[in-house]
Amino acid sequence: MEKLNSISIVVVVLSFLPTSTLFAAPIGNMSGTEYFESKVRPLLVKHCYECHSEEEEAQKGGLLLDRESGWLEGGDSGKAVVPGQPEASLLVGAVQRLEEDSAMPPKYSLEQEEIEIFVRWVKGGAPGPAEDMGETEFSQLGDQTVIFGKAKDHWSFQPVKKVTPPKADVANWNENPVDQFVFAKLKKAGVKPSPSASQNTLVRRISYSLTGLPPTDPALYELSMEDLIGRLIESPRYGEHLARTWLDVARYADTASTYRADTKTPHYYPYAFTYRDYVIDTFNEDKPFDLFVREQIAADLMGVGKDAPELAALGFLGVSPIRNMSHDFIDDAIDATTRGLLGMTVSCARCHDHKFEPVPTADYYSLYGVFASLERPEPWALEKFPEITGYSPSADTVADYEEKRAFIDKEIVEAGSKKKKGNNRSVKETIEQTDLAELLLFHEGAPVRAMTVSEKKKPLEPTVFIRGEPANRGERVPRRFLKVIDEEQLSFSKENSGRLDLANKILDPKNPLTARVYVNRIWGMLMGDFLVDTPSDFGLQGEAPSHPELLDYLAAEFVENGWSTKHLVRLLISSQTYQQRSSHREDGNVADPENELYWRANRKRLKVEELRDSLLAVSGEIDYTMRGRPGPLWGEEYSRRRSVYGYVNRFNLDPTLRNFDFPSPMQTQGQRTDNIVPPQALFLMNSPFITDQAEKLAASLQFDADTDRPARISAIYQRILNREPVENEIIRIGRFVDIEKNRKVFAWPLVAQALCMSNEFLYVD
Amino acid sequence: MNPFSHLSRRDALQRLGFGFGAMAASDLMANVGGSLDSPLAPRQPHFPAKAKRVIHLFMNGGPSQMDSFDPKPTLEKLDGKELPDSIKKTLQATQRNRVGTIWASPFQFSKHGESGLEISELYPHVAKHADKLCVIRSMQSEIANHSPGLLMMNCGHPVLARPSIGSWVLYGLGTESEDLPGYVVLMPSGMPTAQSRNWTSSFLPGVYQGTHIETNAKGGEMIPHLKRRDIGSGTQRNQMELTKFLNQRHLNARPGDERLDSRIHSMELAFRMQSAATDAFDITREPETIREAYGDTPVGRNLLMARRLAERGVRYIQCYHGAGQPWDNHSGLIPRIKGLARDSDQPIAALLQDLDERGMLEDTLVVWGGEMGRTSTIQKTGQNDPEKWGRDHHVDGFTVWMAGGGVKGGMTYGETDDFALSVASNPVHVHDLHATMLHLLGFDHEKLTYRYSGRDFRLTDVHGSVVKDILA
Repeated sequence: MEKLNSISIVVVVLSFLPTSTLFAAPIGNMSGTEYFESKVRPLLVKHCYECHSEEEEAQKGGLLLDRESGWLEGGDSGKAVVPGQPEASLLVGAVQRLEEDSAMPPKYSLEQEEIEIFVRWVKGGAPGPAEDMGETEFSQLGDQTVIFGKAKDHWSFQPVKKVTPPKADVANWNENPVDQFVFAKLKKAGVKPSPSASQNTLVRRISYSLTGLPPTDPALYELSMEDLIGRLIESPRYGEHLARTWLDVARYADTASTYRADTKTPHYYPYAFTYRDYVIDTFNEDKPFDLFVREQIAADLMGVGKDAPELAALGFLGVSPIRNMSHDFIDDAIDATTRGLLGMTVSCARCHDHKFEPVPTADYYSLYGVFASLERPEPWALEKFPEITGYSPSADTVADYEEKRAFIDKEIVEAGSKKKKGNNRSVKETIEQTDLAELLLFHEGAPVRAMTVSEKKKPLEPTVFIRGEPANRGERVPRRFLKVIDEEQLSFSKENSGRLDLANKILDPKNPLTARVYVNRIWGMLMGDFLVDTPSDFGLQGEAPSHPELLDYLAAEFVENGWSTKHLVRLLISSQTYQQRSSHREDGNVADPENELYWRANRKRLKVEELRDSLLAVSGEIDYTMRGRPGPLWGEEYSRRRSVYGYVNRFNLDPTLRNFDFPSPMQTQGQRTDNIVPPQALFLMNSPFITDQAEKLAASLQFDADTDRPARISAIYQRILNREPVENEIIRIGRFVDIEKNRKVFAWPLVAQALCMSNEFLYVD
Repeated sequence: MNPFSHLSRRDALQRLGFGFGAMAASDLMANVGGSLDSPLAPRQPHFPAKAKRVIHLFMNGGPSQMDSFDPKPTLEKLDGKELPDSIKKTLQATQRNRVGTIWASPFQFSKHGESGLEISELYPHVAKHADKLCVIRSMQSEIANHSPGLLMMNCGHPVLARPSIGSWVLYGLGTESEDLPGYVVLMPSGMPTAQSRNWTSSFLPGVYQGTHIETNAKGGEMIPHLKRRDIGSGTQRNQMELTKFLNQRHLNARPGDERLDSRIHSMELAFRMQSAATDAFDITREPETIREAYGDTPVGRNLLMARRLAERGVRYIQCYHGAGQPWDNHSGLIPRIKGLARDSDQPIAALLQDLDERGMLEDTLVVWGGEMGRTSTIQKTGQNDPEKWGRDHHVDGFTVWMAGGGVKGGMTYGETDDFALSVASNPVHVHDLHATMLHLLGFDHEKLTYRYSGRDFRLTDVHGSVVKDILA
């Protein structure tokens, strides 16, 4: 039986073999196949298969030498073998070591007789093996035709379909389309949803979801659900909070990723903050998301004035980690745009066609052409950025700035063309990049500019860089959109870089990705878990949505309602799905331990910004001044403003931020990790920042001698945890206070700090 | 708490990528099960290994190989001559235009130990340990400059932001230290060129990032917020107990959420770390003889701390010679390299001996080297005074040596050519070095992967092969 099978396989394989193999001319006294198997194959096995065979799971340079199609089609550099023409066959040239870069095997030379065998084989028509492997899944890695075939059926490339939500047979799960979709899946799995969380829990949860702050105002507890949501969503704190999620995507920071070695100062971005303010305003004004995207990519091409505040939107490109106009700057722009807005990992196609996604290298270089057509002033070409309106510092502040500026300007003039001793760097440039940049970045009276990019005089007509090497030019490609979404691929404007065309393609009603990707980000932020678990990768390698119909419904609903984020947020927050209890249930845990079906709400840990803002809020120290220059988050002279206004030094990210999972702004970030490491605890135990808040909090409660202990404990609980303490908490805290009293230690700040270190403070039910 | 909490367990398994083929599925589950509690919990590698930890002595700036561990008598005949054009052409463009005449090493080499390993007079103390060293003389890197060189040596790519080798190792093995960071970067003060990118975890979870510590800072300040000065330890203990009471009550009402429990443990660990870290970094607790052996110098103190950390289970310890790129001797090489070697020779020898005497050398891999080597030709030829001469950057044939942790001692591997400007035999690319280091730690470098942005990434990208001839 076994034998029979193998015979029939041979027959089938043979019948599909290219005729050249079967009827190849003999080489010497052997048939072509015999020659290959006895002479050539052993050499390939010995010298080549390590890097070019399925058996070794390696196809370096995209080349496989274990099958005829492998050498005939060749790899990234072209056809490896041209039958009958040794001089045109890269493989022969490689073993002859004609060029140093492509000599093979890389580390040693073949014997002369071995090289002769290859030459003879190719001359004799390069006959293949008797049993060819043909195409296999492995050989098709990176085969764009195959990948495009798969993409045709891939969920995220299908048009968004809005279906009628299924009716739920439980009354309060039938009012909101979100709930109807969620309920249907729960019902199918036989899992009950959880009941609504208590009013107290919901006020705290919604306050954090919409503002990133604890509900310190007692009036919030008196409002109806609708009024509560309405009041918080219209608070300026809302925009500050939502902006932070977008700033992760935009890899926002106040410096470039590099520094000046001689002065050990970062390359400052003195105007990055105007982009951050623009993002905050966007969410507070509920600017339609499509306009938001268009402005971030092409505000300067939209006919706005030379000093329009909208120009700050271009900070999306301007706050890149890469400070100078270079291949890496362009690569980052492609990455931030495609992963951030489309959930596509296009930047993987820089050196070769994407191995897994429908992104040929040509598409990468089409977008490359768009961003390579930009001018980008060096960050220290300080006056080249357009001054914008919308900021009005006081006359005194401006006067102070001008005084300091005059002093620095004088130093610059005096420096002339002098060079620094030791490193021969220009003194003038050093002053500009350090003292002057610092003044512009941190002084509230300095002129306010947008961190823009602008058009080159003539847009670039891109060519593919083979293997990503700029010196190695391949075919010309027009500036145009991604083939997988835009089959026609009409060229972008010849007049300019084509950024506006690009934005329009991203926002095209036929583009199935943009709204889905954004809606999923907002869902993840509010629900504590994503519908698509890979929020910046909706490609073939990404995760499938847990609730595809719901995702589509939300995407369509979002676009139909004028791309309004507030509409979307309201819809989600008012759902039962959002308002369920977060407590675990045995039956739910058994059926769906990861809570992918949303049978309960997700308990969420405060992000580092939320934690810091909460500490400032409960101590009463918080300063709600909006907009303007970044300030220090901690340290001797720390800012009392919200963390979104904190200084982010990209080249040396603050260790406390890092320890609390603040994402590295070196690239676009779609989600944060959620680590629990000891340095977080050390910060809460020992940092001057927290002890300061604890002391300020205790002082602000203004206990007098008559305030009894339970009243004090109650006041501290209300302030920090927004609830009354229970009996045994009062007793336990009383014991703590007694012990410290004996030590003559003032205990109340320490009690406040203990509550601020507690899981109840750090996790929102 | 695990770094993959937002992922399903299945995803976590896929991401961890410990190579399903290499391990029994049950082992894998057991290991990953542990890691789901803590991303830093100790884990078994793919296969049993000799090395359990690494101490990487980073001579940042690029030490000159023909003056230290790669004797080139052939240069003596060529001394003062111009390089043939055919050789000049092979140099990288940045070097080609300023090549001086050939300069034989001004330092004497002699044979040491039973192996007769040749080491220059710059390293009299290290030479006593010749039989422990495995000297690779055929290292190759990509770009002959500091920042790309450092990133290549640390992260396996000269340009892109990729996770550092220490992060990969910590990700793979976890740490045995319960009260110290698992990956520590020691520096007397300041930062090396390319800064924290040298120990970045990049797309790996942040918990695998190196902790940079300036060892010239006073005890408690090396780790931020390690000490509280305004209250006594009794009061802090009392406060921690109160917090624990609150957290326990909170937890009891919320069963099933592992994070809450993890955080209670994490606070206790932090409390212990206050004294443990103080202890680990306090070298005054070492006997006088040990401190004298290492020497009371920045490098000496650094390496002594490294040993104390290794002893306490820290997984990956990197010691930079100094801020910036001190070994970058474009001029004044003779006096400078004498000083640099003097700074490090005795401490390195003391470290090797100390580890050996404690039985730790067999499972500690010590790696010595820079991000590149130097040319055999003179830079600053215009000067007549050899004391002012220097050597330029060079990446095709430089030296790295290893000791302990499963490598053969008293051997050399690979050769440079007569001009010491290219590799003549057995090239070892940085990717190969990385593959070998991971192998010594028990990993198949092709299977230690992490899924990110739709792709399985690894330290060696699509390159690297293990240098089998140097494995003990």
